[in-house]
Amino acid sequence: MAFNPLEQRGIPLDRQRRNWRELSVMPIDPDRCDPYTRCRIITMNGIEVEAILFSHQFARHCPDMDVKRQLAEVRYIEAQQQKAVNWLLPGVSSVLETTIGYEQVAVDLTAWVARMEPDPYLKQAYQFGVLEDFDHLYRYANLYEMIEHRKAEEIVDNLTEVMPGRPTPLHHRDPMDNVRDPYDRQTASPLSKLHALTIMSAEQQTMNFYMNVGPTYMEPIARDLYQEIGLIEEEHVTHYESLVDPGETWWEQLVHHEYNECYLYHSFMEQESDPRIKRIWELHLNMELEHLHLACDLMRRHDGRDPEQVLAPELPNVLTFEPNKQYLRELIADQLDLTTLGTGYVREAHERFERMQQQLNGDGKAPSDQVLDRHREMFGREYRLQTEGEHPVPALREQ
Amino acid sequence: MAQTDQTAHDAGNARDDDVVALLMRQHGDIRNLFDEVERTSGDERREAFRSLVRLLAVHETAEQEVVHPYAGRLFDGAKDMVADRLAEEKAAKEMLAELDGMDPEDPGFMPRLRELRTDVQRHARAEERYEFLQLRRRADPEKLASMAKAVRAAESMAPTRPHPGVQGAAANMAAGPVAALMDRTRDAVRKAMGKKG
Repeated sequence: MAFNPLEQRGIPLDRQRRNWRELSVMPIDPDRCDPYTRCRIITMNGIEVEAILFSHQFARHCPDMDVKRQLAEVRYIEAQQQKAVNWLLPGVSSVLETTIGYEQVAVDLTAWVARMEPDPYLKQAYQFGVLEDFDHLYRYANLYEMIEHRKAEEIVDNLTEVMPGRPTPLHHRDPMDNVRDPYDRQTASPLSKLHALTIMSAEQQTMNFYMNVGPTYMEPIARDLYQEIGLIEEEHVTHYESLVDPGETWWEQLVHHEYNECYLYHSFMEQESDPRIKRIWELHLNMELEHLHLACDLMRRHDGRDPEQVLAPELPNVLTFEPNKQYLRELIADQLDLTTLGTGYVREAHERFERMQQQLNGDGKAPSDQVLDRHREMFGREYRLQTEGEHPVPALREQ
Repeated sequence: MAQTDQTAHDAGNARDDDVVALLMRQHGDIRNLFDEVERTSGDERREAFRSLVRLLAVHETAEQEVVHPYAGRLFDGAKDMVADRLAEEKAAKEMLAELDGMDPEDPGFMPRLRELRTDVQRHARAEERYEFLQLRRRADPEKLASMAKAVRAAESMAPTRPHPGVQGAAANMAAGPVAALMDRTRDAVRKAMGKKG
């Protein structure tokens, strides 16, 4: 079923504004929803937030008043889309519940992208990153049971395992080792560009979320854990954003953003299990088709190039939320001891890494380890959800 | 469901010197029991529902006796904030009593239970966000600890999670109707508070 968004027209821009009644969406039921519906909501919120922030940056670098005005028009619609999407999250959920949803997104979205990514260097970047988000899920799940007496399996619903990945204290690398080499915009597959933009946006939203909700907690251990993982999310944004070729013009980047939004709304529309939410994805797809069309016009006019040169001839395969348990177990077995050196990966702890580790973890345990100690004190065990058997690394099995 | 039991059981090992932490964990235990009722059937469901009734009755009574009166004096307008919570608790208590008179296998039971679940969850979050936050901000640790003691006294008078094998459905039934359970809990809490002076 080939779908070429360049050949479609969506809803005319002047009919895209919504009134308060249309914006007032009914939230999902946290105890009864498909966990992957929540994941799709969290993902699309991150995508819309990136759309808004990117458009603001573009406007700040743009001297052309007409273009500034058109960016503002489209951006306002995107701001409304972000509200309609993110307000699907329910007020009865605690911040920690939502956090565990964010980490489920980070695990299953990044794992899927790693599986599908055609370029080996980019694939390695996703494989490297996903093992860290996997461990964050495990640490937050332990905090969740301590504070709320609930098990993370009630949120992730056995679709995603909860157990140790690459230990969180080891995620603190010297910032210069977080910068990757970019893909080459001339030769990279269009799918690679969409992947990089998607994961960068998701991680950026996670960073924003933790940096803002962390201090709303009263419990010192919760405050500390959000601070630690919030800093790692910043590393992840550095890691993923550096994959994007900085030689892409602003116009080209705008087209990629709009195309990616079409791709993701289309994907999520195809797989959504909740008919009410599916209608929202469909509506937003029809809005995005028009945004893409406008962005393509700008690129033709100001870049003197045809957007078809840089885009795929049709939408790639549907990006899917699905369990990645076996894939993750293989990665855990093979790549747990990796760290970065320059733009590459190594297995040994090098000098710069050791210095950073000493600076951060040298005077007392990291909060991510403290949370496990506290959990063991309270419950006499850790919280894990291992649906596929023992942990693949013997040293990380629970005693 | 075995895991749900495990959480509550392990919780016994957790020390709760802070009434807010204790009540927040009870909110989680209540939600776990709703899950258990929804996922079981027959006698298992009846038993899970008895546990839920006990915990809700004990929890709400302890809050009404220990936490709300204190929180209501903490700041200007606190009385109104507490009045909102009390109104929610009153509505929940009525719905709980109604459910308590139904057979869990009755076709009308589950829809009503889900309504109760939604209301209880909203109420719990409102407490956490508007009331508990003020308690932590304004009450000293000693006061939080003494209130925790009183809440635990309530718990021990009407054990919310009888150990399987030690007490079965019969023991659960012996707890009696909601109102009687609340009365007994109230007495226990007042006694514990009295001792504290």
